[in-house]
Amino acid sequence: MTRSLSDDRPDEPADRTESGGDAVADAEPAAVTGGAVPDDPGRIKVGVGEFAVTSDDAVLTTSGLGSCVAVALVDERAGVRGLLHAMLPAGEGRTTAVSRPAKYVDTGIDSLIGALDDAGADPRRLEARVAGGAEMLDLTDAVGPRNVERVGEVLDAAGVPVVASDVGDAVGRTVRFGPDGRLVVRAADGFERAI
Amino acid sequence: MRVDVRALGACNRLAERGAKQAAGALSDLTGTDLAVEVTGASVASGEDLAESFAGRESIGVSVGLRGGLDGEAVLAFDAVNADALLSLLPGGQSMERSAVTEVGNIALGGFLDGWANYLGKAIDMSPPRYFEADGAAVLPDGALAGDGVFLFESRLDATTTDLDFSIYMLPDSGPFRDLIVGKTAPAATAGGEANGGTESTAVSYESLSTFSSLAKQGSANAADNIAMMTGLETSVDVSRLRFVPLADVPAEVGTEPHAGTVFELQGEPSGYLAILFEESSAAAVADAMLPMEPDEPLGDMAQNALCELGNVMTSGFIDGWANVLGTSITHSPPEFVHDIGASTISPLVAKLSERQDYGFVIDTAIQTEGIQARCDVYALPDERELARALDRLSES
Repeated sequence: MTRSLSDDRPDEPADRTESGGDAVADAEPAAVTGGAVPDDPGRIKVGVGEFAVTSDDAVLTTSGLGSCVAVALVDERAGVRGLLHAMLPAGEGRTTAVSRPAKYVDTGIDSLIGALDDAGADPRRLEARVAGGAEMLDLTDAVGPRNVERVGEVLDAAGVPVVASDVGDAVGRTVRFGPDGRLVVRAADGFERAI
Repeated sequence: MRVDVRALGACNRLAERGAKQAAGALSDLTGTDLAVEVTGASVASGEDLAESFAGRESIGVSVGLRGGLDGEAVLAFDAVNADALLSLLPGGQSMERSAVTEVGNIALGGFLDGWANYLGKAIDMSPPRYFEADGAAVLPDGALAGDGVFLFESRLDATTTDLDFSIYMLPDSGPFRDLIVGKTAPAATAGGEANGGTESTAVSYESLSTFSSLAKQGSANAADNIAMMTGLETSVDVSRLRFVPLADVPAEVGTEPHAGTVFELQGEPSGYLAILFEESSAAAVADAMLPMEPDEPLGDMAQNALCELGNVMTSGFIDGWANVLGTSITHSPPEFVHDIGASTISPLVAKLSERQDYGFVIDTAIQTEGIQARCDVYALPDERELARALDRLSES
């Protein structure tokens, strides 16, 4: 640790009410976890360009899918699930795909399958559910459909069957992926369906 | 003096790391899980920052820095939010001082550890001192005197309870600025995959400050245009230029339903502009603009009204920038959006992410008197084109 505490004190700023000086004894920072942050014991929130894997009963969620795509993979026998929230179709060959593979459909799915494998899933038993990839705007050229197309190609190449999907249209979606292996997709108007 | 906007990205990651450590510490102290939603860096003049802190009370800690970085760093909470958070503590309010001190120490420690590693030099940090400050007094000593300051703001969100608040990290600008410049000036012209090899994303620090004022000018123009069009007194609430990871932008807009308009900008810089209202605000604004009450709150008539409003606001924004930058910027016709807030903005973010990882977001809240309505404007320019335009500005 390169930082250290010293007894030096800066000059008192004029109009602040100051007190103390009682340094907290070398408080150790809490562990920093990259990627998704668990926001309650049973729920793991997956942000844009992130993925998360669970082998217990936690519900994986991701919200505000527009043109982005959510890929939910499960090995039911092993009880291991993972959820990816990818933003763009192709990351291979990009340097940012190394630091943030989950930003892209191709590198994201590869990383997710790798993480599921590490968590005890058998990649040959995985099943996929896909949601999102909407065409929200005319302004942007079909990012959503390109994401969906790429998901199909990458999963096909990995030998993972897509058992259900809710993709396209011009509608935002929020999803949760529970221990039953179903992906619950909720649209902006509150309409919900499990796929 | 030049700042590489990508180096600002590195700083932002350090700030985010500090914020995550603070969130972890707060979660442990309160037993309520907190997640960092967004961390952004603001580049603003001391005066602008003083204005945005005006009327707010802050509590926090300050530490003095020696060694690899000299100066002062501050971590602060809005007092009103801190109360809600600290009421969750087992010891209640009496715990406030020590809890704030501990959390501040952990967050600043995380931030400064990152810096020390980055510099390869130790940073001595004096014991944290608790403070309560009114308005601009929260800013570090050097902030108001210099020509600008960096402010890192992280929004923390507790999803199990209704609590969301921001923490601020304010490294004293002088030494911090020198550091960015000293460390990254060569890198700024070295190119790389993401910047197309030859184009630089380095801009002068002064022009970043200028751009920050532009944001303000654009918002004021937009407000004037609304006032002219509707006859309603309109004011600009907050206006600040922030530098945020693009992937965080949808989370920042949030999952509440929003309605508004989006535009593609062409020229220098190109990019996108989104004007988003919460649903009820959108309906209230449309209602105020229409001669009769619309059949449905956000039906065709309201959509037309919001598109027209979007047009005048966007013109107000980009005219101001184009004048100052000496460039020509045009905008596409408005496209109406009405959906989950994060979803409406995700295609814009995805599109820009093909070329960059960070974006400048201009937060503007425009308030119209007589009706309860506010909107947020997200201006997402192409960083290379923006850098180029700013560069020309500093040369002229």
